[in-house]
Amino acid sequence: MKKSLVTLLAGISMAALLSGGCANKESVKKEEAVVPAVSTAKVEPAKPVEQAKPVEQAKPVEEVKPAQEDAKIAAKTSAAEIKFETVYFDFDKSDLRQDARDVLTKNAENILKSMAAAKIKIEGHCDERGSAEYNMALGERRAASAQKYLTTLGVKAENLSIISYGKEKPAVNGSDEAAWAKNRRAEFVVVK
Amino acid sequence: MKIFLLVLLLVVPPAALYAQSGYIEVTAPGNRQLKLAVVPPRSLDVPVNSESAKLVSDVIAYDMNMSGVVIAENRSQLPFAKDISLADVDFAPWQSAGFDLLVRGEYSLKDERLTVEFRLFDVINRKLITAKRYLGAAKDLRRFSHSFADEIMRAMTGEKGVFTTKIAYVSTKTGNKEIYVMDWDGHNPLPLTKNGSINLNPDFSPDGREIIFTSYKRGNPDLYRRSLSNTAEVPLSSRKGLNFTGSWSPDGNKIALALSKDGDAEIYTLDKDGTHPTRLTINPALDFYPSWSPDGKQIVFVSDRLGKPQIFVMNAGGGEVRRLTTAGNYNVNPRWSPKGDRIAYSRMTNGGFNIFTIAPDGTSDTQLTFDGSNENPSWSADGRFICFSSKRGSGAGVYVMRTDGSGQTKVSQGKGMYFQPVWSVH
Repeated sequence: MKKSLVTLLAGISMAALLSGGCANKESVKKEEAVVPAVSTAKVEPAKPVEQAKPVEQAKPVEEVKPAQEDAKIAAKTSAAEIKFETVYFDFDKSDLRQDARDVLTKNAENILKSMAAAKIKIEGHCDERGSAEYNMALGERRAASAQKYLTTLGVKAENLSIISYGKEKPAVNGSDEAAWAKNRRAEFVVVK
Repeated sequence: MKIFLLVLLLVVPPAALYAQSGYIEVTAPGNRQLKLAVVPPRSLDVPVNSESAKLVSDVIAYDMNMSGVVIAENRSQLPFAKDISLADVDFAPWQSAGFDLLVRGEYSLKDERLTVEFRLFDVINRKLITAKRYLGAAKDLRRFSHSFADEIMRAMTGEKGVFTTKIAYVSTKTGNKEIYVMDWDGHNPLPLTKNGSINLNPDFSPDGREIIFTSYKRGNPDLYRRSLSNTAEVPLSSRKGLNFTGSWSPDGNKIALALSKDGDAEIYTLDKDGTHPTRLTINPALDFYPSWSPDGKQIVFVSDRLGKPQIFVMNAGGGEVRRLTTAGNYNVNPRWSPKGDRIAYSRMTNGGFNIFTIAPDGTSDTQLTFDGSNENPSWSADGRFICFSSKRGSGAGVYVMRTDGSGQTKVSQGKGMYFQPVWSVH
């Protein structure tokens, strides 16, 4: 059962990566997200991330590659390898919507189940609107709120690191809401 | 004629507003702008080689027209002028053609060795204002021409021009965001970074010889420093999280930037070697994009502490934070003018951005651009121009305008996307 779930999730996330993400997340009310996200914030402050620093410095060059490229390579080499689902955000927001928390819960389960010791980097991204510099800081906020939520679900804080790419690495090109929605995201990358 | 002379003493042309005593030698009657004729320099070579002559006069005329101080025309020698030597000018035909000022020159270009001499004449008072002689290589021709335009500005306004300065910017020409530097008028673009990563937010050292910038080249967005003439990129700040929007202090001894090592972006200052971080903002909001006042005593920056990004001013040691922008709900990219009297910034309007300037006390908020989306303003050292990136119908690129919004001109020459231009001090 557990194995088939993993496979299923892997399949779903692969499909999500290929299609650029789920379609109907805009319908979820963001108000719902605010309360639990705030309450979880009390459980685990952001502090422990500092311990993840050595990991970041260990093999930094690889992160420069676009995430999609990594995904393609990984999909080819091993279909069974776990891919994490991407978390999406509302415009100019970093709080977690209900669908984002569902995705993070799945990601946390995957981590705890089969890669509890893995070092995972959370990449925060933004859509093209707004200043590049503001988005750089906003992307970090998004990565941080995903990180915070994962730690409340039991993922070891020292295994998580965050980075922001602002609006510098869009998942899809385009200047409409469909493209923007796919670009406001946090991605999860296993640091080798 | 006597009445005319009286009038020109009473009515001060725009150029004279910038003047320091003793510099303005000529004034135009009424409110009309002074007219400058730029004659292509005469070739001294045998046989005569006039190929580069027009380039020289084009550069000077372009610079002087952009200045807004004069109306410059690239004019061939008037057919009825009987000039014998460079010093011996027949002023009458120039005066009847309506010119107040005249630039003439001579040059020689032999075996890549270049000699140029320029002279600026006061047509009305029939005298030499200033002269300069340059020795160099063939490739220096544009630079020497810009340099004499700087000298014309000095003669007319008391302050040297900025036409020999440079603009650094980010371009995606190679597919990656790399940092380039070009002459102020878009010529001689040169790649600085070539690391294939994401490189952002260049800022010049006060001496114009170095830049700081943020790069992902080693994974994390770290702050680097490098000279324009040497490819070594020295990490200055590699602290956890963002090390970005670095801004060199006017005295060159400190760097203000935003660091997120505390969990969210906060303004810090560092010594110029990256050591001794001093935290200036303590706020759960995002604080970034610091820019120093020219006296180094204050810092203007962006913060979303009230919800949306707005521009604030604080002491350079931190504290006494006050909100600067009150109109518009998304104001970013502040840059303090080198004279200290204005702060340029960009405001989100209808999804795009426009450039504004505002006095440091928050008064006289003024919109300068109205076309397309315009971001990241940066002042020229004389406070006369602002460069910025623009996406507009007439083309995307680095634009330059006068600080009243007039003369908006695309200066970058290649196609592609241009971001975050910054103007050198020297």
